[in-house]
Amino acid sequence: MAVVVRSFRHVAQEMKYPRAVITQHPMGRPMGPPEDSSTHDLVVAAGLELLTNASAGSAIVELHGPYRPVT
Amino acid sequence: MLIPMRESFEDFKNSFSYGSRSDLSFKFLKALSDDQAAEFLARLLHEVGEMYDGAGPEALLDLAFEWQVKAYTPKPGAERPYVYEEGPFEPLTHQLEETTVGLVTSSGHFDPSDPPGDGRAGTAQESIIDRIDEFLRNAPELSTVDLSIDPPHLEVVHPGYDTRSASRDPEVTFPARALQRAANRGGIGSLASTGYSFVGACSQGRLRKELDHWIDVWKGAGIEALFLVPV
Repeated sequence: MAVVVRSFRHVAQEMKYPRAVITQHPMGRPMGPPEDSSTHDLVVAAGLELLTNASAGSAIVELHGPYRPVT
Repeated sequence: MLIPMRESFEDFKNSFSYGSRSDLSFKFLKALSDDQAAEFLARLLHEVGEMYDGAGPEALLDLAFEWQVKAYTPKPGAERPYVYEEGPFEPLTHQLEETTVGLVTSSGHFDPSDPPGDGRAGTAQESIIDRIDEFLRNAPELSTVDLSIDPPHLEVVHPGYDTRSASRDPEVTFPARALQRAANRGGIGSLASTGYSFVGACSQGRLRKELDHWIDVWKGAGIEALFLVPV
């Protein structure tokens, strides 16, 4: 079983991932900005929750937090 | 590389995609029409102007992401090669707190002490970008990464995306530490001690031929669930 983390919801929908966490992060930064462990943990938590709770394929959770580099 | 003194706007916008001004964060400009690209650039410059008066970078970041999504969203009627009617799904067979999770990414990370054979080790990202066509024809190579490695020692080289952020912090595309924190909190049974990464910009047909073997490797490592990060 698997969960995928990515940007671009349409790809997850087309490819029928079993479970997908969609982030609003630019290409090359799906987990979030560098050194932003809070966001990375949030994304991991969303993925692990999907692993546990999804009951059928194409389960998608979309996180809406914008990409904000740590300053 | 020589930059022509006269070039069309189309040539200019396309030059960010493996061209004279290659910047993989903005290669999406090639997928925009001239009018769309012009609108994006005009709005980009407007937001830069706002920053003269103290505006932060948030609007710029949001604008760039908005247009990246717009560029990559399929046009109506466009041929799409990877559209499926159904997909795989298996429920967890036991509690996640008792499950070994493995990390697999297409981010192109590797341990420099165990370099891949595709020429990326010791090669600058800019040089690898020039070899994108070669990578797209070839089979991918799966790198194994002992997750006890000190993160700054991980290398990332990939011809398909802007690796600047991933170079600064591997967690951006290879979230081993975040998964380990989840394991430490009891959220998962364990994180497999080896992570895996490959260059997703590869022959997709050849990738499919590798997958059965890769799945055997992951099962052999005791992995019961995969945390996948395609980049």
